Parts: sequence; structure tokens; C-alpha cells
Amino acid sequence: MNLWQGAVLMSVYFPHKKLPYLLVLPQLVITLIFFLWPAEQAFEQAFYQEDAFGLSREFVGFDNFVYLFNDPQYYKSIWVTLVFSFSVAFSGLAIALWLAVMADRVIRGKLTYQTLLVWPYAVAPALAGVLWWLLFDPSMGPIALWLQYFGVDWNHFLNGDQAMTLVVISATWKQISYNFLFFLAGLQAVPRSLIEAASIDGASPFKRFWTIVFPLLSPTTFFLLVINLVYAFFDTFGVIDATTQGGPGVSTATMVYKVFNDGFIGLDMGSSAAQSVVLMFLVGVMTVIQFRYIERKVEY
Amino acid sequence: MSDVVLNNIGKTYPNGYHAIPSIDLTIEEGEFIVLVGPSGCGKSTLLRMVAGLETISQGDLMIKGAKVNDKEPADRDIAMVFQNYALYPHMTVYANMAYGLKNRGESKEVIAEKVTSVANMLGLEELLERKPKQLSGGQRQRVAMGRAMVRDPKVFLFDEPLSNLDAKLRVQMRVEIRQLQRKLGTTTLYVTHDQVEAMTLADRLVVLNKGKAEQIGSPMALYNKPATPFVAAFIGSPSMNLLPANLDEQGICLSDRLSLPLVHDHRGSIIWGIRPEHLEVVDEANADFALRIQAVESLGAETLIHGTVDLGVKQEPMVVRLAGPHWPEINSLLWLKAPLDHWHVFDAVTQQRL
Repeated sequence: MNLWQGAVLMSVYFPHKKLPYLLVLPQLVITLIFFLWPAEQAFEQAFYQEDAFGLSREFVGFDNFVYLFNDPQYYKSIWVTLVFSFSVAFSGLAIALWLAVMADRVIRGKLTYQTLLVWPYAVAPALAGVLWWLLFDPSMGPIALWLQYFGVDWNHFLNGDQAMTLVVISATWKQISYNFLFFLAGLQAVPRSLIEAASIDGASPFKRFWTIVFPLLSPTTFFLLVINLVYAFFDTFGVIDATTQGGPGVSTATMVYKVFNDGFIGLDMGSSAAQSVVLMFLVGVMTVIQFRYIERKVEY
Repeated sequence: MSDVVLNNIGKTYPNGYHAIPSIDLTIEEGEFIVLVGPSGCGKSTLLRMVAGLETISQGDLMIKGAKVNDKEPADRDIAMVFQNYALYPHMTVYANMAYGLKNRGESKEVIAEKVTSVANMLGLEELLERKPKQLSGGQRQRVAMGRAMVRDPKVFLFDEPLSNLDAKLRVQMRVEIRQLQRKLGTTTLYVTHDQVEAMTLADRLVVLNKGKAEQIGSPMALYNKPATPFVAAFIGSPSMNLLPANLDEQGICLSDRLSLPLVHDHRGSIIWGIRPEHLEVVDEANADFALRIQAVESLGAETLIHGTVDLGVKQEPMVVRLAGPHWPEINSLLWLKAPLDHWHVFDAVTQQRL
């Protein structure tokens, strides 16, 4: 609100400066209505307890937080989130790097190849979830049937680890394209003469990659690691909801999914809001990390 | 024993472009060979073929008697200094120099000893723990040379190593490279587009034009007896004055108005050349022709006078180089004599020296 009032005040004293504020107005309004207002609501709600129908509420101070941090289920969801996020970030980076290295070598049909690899990024999260859900469906999914043929008893409705694998695959698949683009650009920025110098210096292609190329990619890798962790933490609700809905049990319920589940299914608005506040804090921390270290770039 | 032999070496790109039709060159042990030519003449391609960074389309490349056409760069026992130095930016100077030895499985002690001794030779002792970006251009250049020297290769390859340095440093490094090469006695192949660099460094020069070796020889041989007008124009600064003419009974006929007496059996169109430093200023009675002065460049030790020679049908540009300072007036006439023993005559059709 202060920002808005400031804008109005300034326009009184400096009438010719109205235009800039007019131009950022739509963005400000959107931010206010869809981000700041709900955030403020969640923050307020976190200190109240509300009945399931939203008819009455009572101020309870930090009770929601105290309850949350004494709840083993919440620690379980933190653990799920960590396993999920690091799996997604690691496999997303590893596969994308491998694809980028391969794509960098392709000479014929380079553009087609690269375009195809970028496509999954355009697929909506829920669609990606449904797609993998179908492929892995225990009774009719081709991949599930194929796995069963090889003796893997695939049923992610019953097996928590398999469910986790499925959400990791779905979430990773979407992120690979993004990582791929950055890695490819990073690889193409490595001067050719360095590779040539290394090959004259007697380094095998494998050694060249790990001693020259990979260290030079480290700024890209670190940037992508943060981006991927943020993605896996906060941006994978759609994928999880479309594939496992947090189940079986709570084995794939990440912190974000639990916010939705407790708030809109369990109708425990107070706890849900408290969890949101915790997440907001985490986003803040990650943003600081991102700006602190990425803006400065990794030194080599 | 000859060290490096290029036998009918050629390069054709997959798209059918003949970058290098065919080159023969035999390099003796310890020789300093400079490949020189304008950009796009194929000199870097040729060097990269010797290095193993480009495939060889035809011919044989022998190093110390062994055919190395299909050997990996690492197995050819060569070292290369790149134009942009290609230092590994994430490694210290020490690690940069040790990298090649490490890959060859040398022990830590041997590596330390070799790197230290090369670093001492190049004055890099103080810089061993620095990263390349903390070095000046000249220091980077030295590290790049150190990295090449530390492995004690059979052949040094230099790809325009001085073109990223400022003029003063370039002269200094030029002298250093020559001294180091003499001291180490390593066969060297050096690519440049700078004819001064080429003249001062080379035992022998290879002048390349459109992938062909126009002439191979010592700098002085190329200066005194260029085989083609291309070499004549390329070697020497400022360039040789080259004028189209006809050779007949009277001699060299530059136009209806101007001919220079010469007894020669050849008949037909030729190119006549004389270097700016060989033209003499004389009085009108003894002159061969007059130069209408258009511009004067005074460099202190010498003066370059640019002008045109009136041939009636056309004006031919010509440059005269005089020792010491001169202040002739623009648009005035300068009477010149071209001494016979400094003439260069080329067949205009075959482009060969007559």
C-alpha cells in the first residue's frame, strides 16, 4: 500500500512523471491482488483457528505453529520434500547435461533435435502429470506393463517408493528442457581452443569433459541447481496432484501439497496458513541465496 | 635428418571446398619455419592439420620419420600456442603448465621439477599460483609458451601468437620467441599474417596464397628474388611498386610515352616492379620518370612519398622511400631513377619471375 500512496504523492509534485507509474500499474495491481493480498491473508490466518465452514474464528497466537512443529506428519512432509526436490534437481541436471553434450556434437539436423528436446517445457504441469500417470498406470500403462513383464511389480497406488519415483520422473521430465537449453548455451560458450589445447595436452574426451568443460560450466550448473530446487519445492503441485495426489498415504505429499491438502481437503485453515508462512520464509531464503550467489557468479 | 615432412598435403572440406590443393615442405631439425599470407590463405588450416586438429584429406604428414596422418594430436608429440592463448581459466598457472604432464602420467616430483625449470626460464616464478585472468596479456602469452615448452615436444606450433598484444609488447615477445627457439633448438612452425614478424623470425618463409605455396625460401631470398608478383607485394613494407607493362625490342614499355630500356628475349605483357627503397632521387636529365607528389609520410628515420606517375593514358600510383626527413611540396614533381639491378620483371600471364 505504501508503494501505491508514494506513487500518487509523487505524481502530484512531478506531474510529468505520471507515465512510468501508469505503465507499471497493471503489474502492481496483479501483484497486489494475487500475491500480496493472499499472502497477507495467509499470514493473518496463521494466528487464528477457524471452523470448517468459515463462520467463526478465534485468535490463538502461535498455537498453529506450535502444533505444526510438534506434528510428526509435518516432519514427514519436509523429508518427502527434500527427497523429492533433490531427486528432481539431481536427475534433471544430470540428464539435461548428458542430452546437451550429445546435442552439442550433432552436426546434421541440429535444430530439429534441439527443438524436440525443448518441447516438453511447453506442456502444462497437469498434462505432464496425466501423461506419466497414464504411462505408468498399473492396469493399462505401457511402461507399467513392460516393467511387470520384466518382473517389477509396479503399482504406485500401493507402493510409496514407486509413487515417489513416478512424481520424480514426471516433475523431472518437464524441467529437463529448461536445463537442457542452459547447458547447451553453456557448452557452446566454452571456447573451442580450450578443448583443442586439452586434446593436444593428451586428455581423453572423458577427461577433457570432467577437467575442462564441467568446471567451466559450474556457473550454469549452480544457477540451474537453485532454479531446479525452487521449482521442485514450490512449483510441482500440479504434477503431484495429477499423478499421485500425495499418496499412497502421505508418501508423495510435499510441503506445498500438504498446504493444499490440509487447507482445502482437511479444511484446517489455521494449520494450512501456518504452513504457508513457513513456505514463504523458505522462498525468501532461497531468493536471497539466488541473488547473493548467482548474481555474483561462481568464481573459477 | 628432416624433422617434419609435408608430402603433397591437401585439404578439402566436406562441402567440396579446396582449402589447400597441395603443399610440399620439408622442415629440417631445429628450423624455424613461418607460414605467412593474407587472411583466408589456408595458413592456419595447414598448421591445424599438422597439429591434428583438422583432418588431412590427401598426402602424407611425417614427423621424425613416422607417418602421423591418423594419429591423435596428443600422440604426435607436438605443442601448440594458440592465438587467444587457450589457457584453462579455472586452473592456476602451475596447473595449466602441469596439465599435459599429468595426463601423460608423470610423477608429481617430475612435474614440479619441469614446471619450475620452465617457469624460471620464462620469469614466471612469481605467477605460478595466479589464475589466467589475473595476468596481463604478455604474461598470459608467456604462460601459453611455458605450457608448450614444459612437455619438451618435437615440434612447436604457433598460431598467430602475438596478434593479441600491443605493438611494443609484440616486438619484445618476438625477440623472446626467437631467442627461446634458438636456445631449445626445437623445430618450429609459426603462422602469422604480419610480414615483419615473418621476416624477423623465420629461417625459411612459406608464402601462402589461396592454399598454394607461392614461394618457400629464406626471408632475404624472398625479398631479393620474389618468385611471383604476390610475394613481391607481400614481402617488404611498404609494398613493392608493381606496374603493368609490355616487353618488346625497346625494352619495358610502360606506355606510349614511357619505356625503360632492357634487353630480354621475352615478348608480351609483363609486370614490372621496383621497391620504394630502391628508387633514387636524381635531377631531371638523369631521371627515368617523374612522380607527382600527393602525400608525404615523415617517420623521422625515413620518409615515404606517395604520388602518381603520369603514363599519358593513366596515372599509376607509386611510393618512394627515402632515408631521413624530407619536406617536398605536395603536387610538385620528384625526378626518379630506377636502377636496373633492382628491377623485378614478372610474366603477366604465368605470374612467374622472368
